[in-house]
Amino acid sequence: MAQPATSISGDLTSVEGLLREELARGDRSLRGVAPVLAHMLASPGNAMVTDAIVARVRGMLEHLARQLLAAERAERMGDAARGSADPPEDVDALAARLASDHVVLGHSYVLAMESHLAERLERRASVDPVLSPLLQELIASEKPATAELAMATLAAQSRFIQSQRRMDMPLAELPAELFLSVIECWQNAASESNREDVPRGAVDRLKRSYDEGASRGGLLARLVSAMGNGAVAALELEHAGLALFATALASRTRQPRDNAVIACHESQAARLALAFRAAGMDAAAIERQFLVLEPGISVPEVIGKLAPDRAQAILAQSEARVMDIER
Amino acid sequence: MIERGDTLLAARGLTDADDRLVNADEPLAELQIACGGRIPGMLAVPELLELVRQARGMGLRIAREFGAHDGEELVTGFVRIQPRPDSEGAGCEVLVENWQRHPRTLAGAGEFAEQLDAIDRASAEASGRLDARQRVQLVNAGAPDAQELEQAIAREPGRVWTDYVTLQGIAHRQPLHWRLLDGAHCLLPGSQRSWRIRLLPLGSESTAPAGFEWLLVPEEPLAEATGHGDEEKQAASGHSRLIGSALTPVLRQPIARIIANAETIRARLAGPLREEYTEYAGTIAAAGQHLSGMLDDLADLEVVEAPGFSTAREKVDLADAARRAAGILGVRAQGRDIVLDLPGEGDDCLATAEFRRVLQVLMNVIGNAIAYSPAGSRVTVRTHRAEGEEGQHRVAVTVSDEGPGVTEQQATRIFDKFERLGRDNDGGSGLGLYISRRLARAMGGDLTVSGPESGAEVGGAVFRLDLPAYPAGKPA
Repeated sequence: MAQPATSISGDLTSVEGLLREELARGDRSLRGVAPVLAHMLASPGNAMVTDAIVARVRGMLEHLARQLLAAERAERMGDAARGSADPPEDVDALAARLASDHVVLGHSYVLAMESHLAERLERRASVDPVLSPLLQELIASEKPATAELAMATLAAQSRFIQSQRRMDMPLAELPAELFLSVIECWQNAASESNREDVPRGAVDRLKRSYDEGASRGGLLARLVSAMGNGAVAALELEHAGLALFATALASRTRQPRDNAVIACHESQAARLALAFRAAGMDAAAIERQFLVLEPGISVPEVIGKLAPDRAQAILAQSEARVMDIER
Repeated sequence: MIERGDTLLAARGLTDADDRLVNADEPLAELQIACGGRIPGMLAVPELLELVRQARGMGLRIAREFGAHDGEELVTGFVRIQPRPDSEGAGCEVLVENWQRHPRTLAGAGEFAEQLDAIDRASAEASGRLDARQRVQLVNAGAPDAQELEQAIAREPGRVWTDYVTLQGIAHRQPLHWRLLDGAHCLLPGSQRSWRIRLLPLGSESTAPAGFEWLLVPEEPLAEATGHGDEEKQAASGHSRLIGSALTPVLRQPIARIIANAETIRARLAGPLREEYTEYAGTIAAAGQHLSGMLDDLADLEVVEAPGFSTAREKVDLADAARRAAGILGVRAQGRDIVLDLPGEGDDCLATAEFRRVLQVLMNVIGNAIAYSPAGSRVTVRTHRAEGEEGQHRVAVTVSDEGPGVTEQQATRIFDKFERLGRDNDGGSGLGLYISRRLARAMGGDLTVSGPESGAEVGGAVFRLDLPAYPAGKPA
């Protein structure tokens, strides 16, 4: 578009700016089409991004937004707030804001993937997504403390599967760093949209009620830690179930749990094989695990020759960007 | 407060707003000390410190795995950290679950040796090349006190390296086979430090190396300002500081090495060994620990004997201090089946004193009670209020045990310096009670001992720490 030579009215400038911005937004959307389309075409079986995953992630982000807005409303209006719902446009705006935070988005994605993988394992290898044989053994433990922890974990895991079916993501289940990111997103969104600031009381209330050790992630990690050296048993996927397995693998290979979950996707076989090796498993044991998870994939036997700490080093170099959670 | 009804809990600690560990149960307290910290003092376990800072910064309760080296073993656990509100000191409550110790796993011997070589390469402060007959080809002195060596080599080049240094503990005529010289200790001209020599063979054939990489690794850092900025040492300035500040740092390192090596032998890390020898190594390690504890006492002794020594005057809840001291010693008491009978929660008996000094005295006295009373007995700690002379209010804590008690004659000597009352093999330095009494007196109180109270069912010693009361009605 040619620039008008004469002086431009203020109005026109802002219209132009607006259009320019819109166009840039359109450009960004267009740029996104090719990689997404290429990815979906290239992975006919189990893509890393599917409609189901996208829907779940969207649902989870909306649920987060609803919880935050409800907390805000409760703080402002007290009991009168009960029962009423927030306007959908507010929920959408906050959810979009949360989606633009890659760390939050990445974690939501991993949880969606975890429940997807758990469902697949149930269908394919009859691994119960909630109560695995190992968890059952732990609940029957002679040590009351371990048994109690295992019971709490069972409850948390069953809540997780349930909330995944409802595409929910309770705030209290987020890792601490993410919990803070979400709160920060919320506060920024409020101050930028010229709304009133998020009331301090609402933030404090949420923070006070937060306890990472009581979240599913925290309970799983505590349980694995309580197993001590027995945690090797949790590296048997069929025996431990995906949730305990992922936590144990992450703990033994000192990587974020999210990475361990992602490693179970069929496109990430190398990541999983390296993690197994870093955890000290031999080639035969690794082969057995792959038979449960992805019977189609054969593991090269040389993996057994790689020193565990080399495997660990190679893993540590991987970027695994989607779930860039600082730990 | 975080729920902790379960028995997975191994240790509890409290930190303040500056991440100083103000009190901790025994395993955590031991780890803190093994990592070079004190109680109260800056949290010295790096991973824990990181997590405590994180939790405090975020204002969130977090739960994480952690691992730490205590110098001998890898300690792992699961830690839950709860930031406390400003009204309670703005620190954190630290709960450690699943405390586990793993002996250090050594990689394959070859790999381990490679790691050691890499460490020596990184810490060498002078290095060079030797030819196949160990003659110096070149040398690079990084440290100032190795310059003289470099100059000596420049003046008379081409000689065997042992001609330029003074080997220690090797009287054999040089040159020896390189394997016997690798790891030897020597002195360098113009350097006060002791140096360790590494000869790393070059070339493919290990039986007849084409030359050597020559590393000179100092055994200690170059002495410069050694002051630790410790307030206690500053308080003692002007006083002759023979042991605490002059000797302690010098002695600490060799003693630490004796302990570490003895532990290595005891744990058979370097290979199989007959049972008796591992027991001897255990004895050596225990003796080393004793010496190391003695050094701490001597350093303390110097502080309390310094002319300018004074203590802070703050409000101290004696019952609370007693409970904390007992908490730290709880595991030791359990080990001997001793019941610690402590003042209850509602018991507020306030003194004007310095909290950590009171804690130190109580730990000493309660620790003695645990050590010298029969297994399965009871140690009773009580607080008291009393009207002192001239209407001055006094408060006191008594610690009574069911041990053999103290005769009147012993009671006069027990607080003397180096007095051990005839015991010579239990690891005490004979300084604890002396220091404790000095501390009590510095705070305007006293530490005394008496036989069993008349009418008491069982005998035993009663130690009494008297302190000035905190004035009633004064705001907290």
